[in-house]
Amino acid sequence: MFDTFFVQQLVNGLSVGLIYALMAIGFTLIFGVLNVVNFAHGEVYMIGAFAGLLAITQLSPPLFVVILIALAAGALAGFGLERLAFRPFRRFRDEASLKSKAIREATLLSSLAVSIIVRELAEKIFGSNMQPIPQEYLLLSPVQIGPLTFANGQFLIFGLSLVMLGGLHWLLKHTRTGMAIRAVANNPIGAAYVGINTERTIIATFVIGSTLGAAAGIVVGLYQGAIFPAMGFAPGVKAFVAMVMGGLSSIGGAVICALILGVSEAVTTSFFAQGWGDLVAYVFLVITLIFFPTGLFGGGRERV
Amino acid sequence: MDRRISIFILLAFVLVALPGGLALLGGGYWFRVVTTIGVFSVLTMSANLVTGTTGLMSLGHAGFYGIGAYTAALLATQLHWPFFLTLPAAGLVTAAIGILLALPTMRLIGIYFAVATLGLGEIIHVSLLNWVSFTRGPMGIAAIPGISIEGLFSASDIVNYYAVALVAVAAMVVLGRLTHSYYGNALRAVREDDQCASSMGLNVVSLKIQSFAVACFFAGVAGGLWAHTTGYISPADFRFSESILILAMMVVGGLGSLPGAILGAIILLGLPEVLRPIGDYRMIVVGAVMFLSILFLPRGLLGETSVLTVVRKQFGLAWDKNLNLGWRQ
Repeated sequence: MFDTFFVQQLVNGLSVGLIYALMAIGFTLIFGVLNVVNFAHGEVYMIGAFAGLLAITQLSPPLFVVILIALAAGALAGFGLERLAFRPFRRFRDEASLKSKAIREATLLSSLAVSIIVRELAEKIFGSNMQPIPQEYLLLSPVQIGPLTFANGQFLIFGLSLVMLGGLHWLLKHTRTGMAIRAVANNPIGAAYVGINTERTIIATFVIGSTLGAAAGIVVGLYQGAIFPAMGFAPGVKAFVAMVMGGLSSIGGAVICALILGVSEAVTTSFFAQGWGDLVAYVFLVITLIFFPTGLFGGGRERV
Repeated sequence: MDRRISIFILLAFVLVALPGGLALLGGGYWFRVVTTIGVFSVLTMSANLVTGTTGLMSLGHAGFYGIGAYTAALLATQLHWPFFLTLPAAGLVTAAIGILLALPTMRLIGIYFAVATLGLGEIIHVSLLNWVSFTRGPMGIAAIPGISIEGLFSASDIVNYYAVALVAVAAMVVLGRLTHSYYGNALRAVREDDQCASSMGLNVVSLKIQSFAVACFFAGVAGGLWAHTTGYISPADFRFSESILILAMMVVGGLGSLPGAILGAIILLGLPEVLRPIGDYRMIVVGAVMFLSILFLPRGLLGETSVLTVVRKQFGLAWDKNLNLGWRQ
């Protein structure tokens, strides 16, 4: 027979891993299209959580509506982020400058700066402590299945993640927007030649990626009962690690690595003190960069 | 202006005018602010060698600063070493650990190196936080002896100031001589195009490791100074946000320029103090200044090229046609 404790940890790890996966997809989409790293992705996650919380405290709608509001806030945040931190640095349209080192570093720094400003503004407005969440919205009521106990939040995380991953797959493979995103990721100049509006596609990418991030934010906020301005940093870095492990532009790879990361963290924290769990992601990151510089699922990419 | 006069004015300002003015202002608090600026100037100048001159964006500098601070603090509290031994020890230990940690990441370039150093910085932070038996974890190390020699002088604001100022001047001289030399040009060649530099016969990996080690040495010394001048350190002082602060100082001042690094430290630490009456907006100011400077001054306030011209005229050799020596115009 299997060990109950172990299965429980596995499920906990998988639900955390799915959250990392939702965030990692945002990173991966944006990296694929623009070849830049969006350091403000963790703040989108935080914005999603706070938008949901505001909706709860002001309107107290049903949970379904709360999630929709968080998604809308995420989409808006993604749009604003692209305009503010990425658009001003795309002054030229040729491929060399679109994917150049200078643009990468400039947008890396500008998204970092925007993320600091957003996080600190949130701390000014809401205070840096954890926000009180009304009891009836917390997703922590236990669900008993045989000898195993789960929280109902875990079911929500599993359901929502699967729906969003499926939706994303459909979007990328079967809609014009999705095909445009893949075309721009493949070759921005070629995409522009065949009449794809690259500007609009880039915005669409940011909106989609940020929507997924915001969904992760509100669900985790309600499941862990912890919504605070700095909440985006740790999952952001871990999703980023998952993206690097997955090979930077492979969505499937990022999802698998996010799940591996979540499970390894859960297993580590059950053997060592809680604090050391954070080390797992960074050790994975360094090991991946040393031994598999192109990621576990990356194809033959450029030099790292 | 003659080179000697420039140096004399600089030294007179740092060693006489500034402490005198601060003492007239009432000392205490303002000494604390200026000491912090001094420590961060050393940090930013050292990070500048890696990020600005060699072109490897480091997002984990605060971690190495933390190693230096903990080395100095543990040596001073456990083994009762005096500060003139702990400071070099902090630098050497940090450089050694830095080389060990960075050796495997030296093959990486660009964003991959940035991410790897972010990971290293966080590994150091998590270790400082959780290795309670060695570092006392989140409680931090308190009662670190100040900078004093029995019979000569005892710890005070003015002693702290002079210690930091002398180290900062020394760091500036060493890093300045290092970057404004043929060696510095080799580092810049690595920054501009490492494959090309390698094909010209430069040992790129070795150059990267050397510049990283020197940067870690000064980061460690800065950490030791911080430990001795504040008397209390905890892992919260060495988080990712500190690395970002250092990066923002470099970006605002101008990547690759030493005076720019100091100017960045003065602006990003001084501005929040000046704005204190309005409220505590420290990190918002950091973010806003960083964002605006990337947007409008991509080269920074004292960008490398303009700074290089200044330095050439004031301190360095101009290109001498007869000797065929010096800077190329």
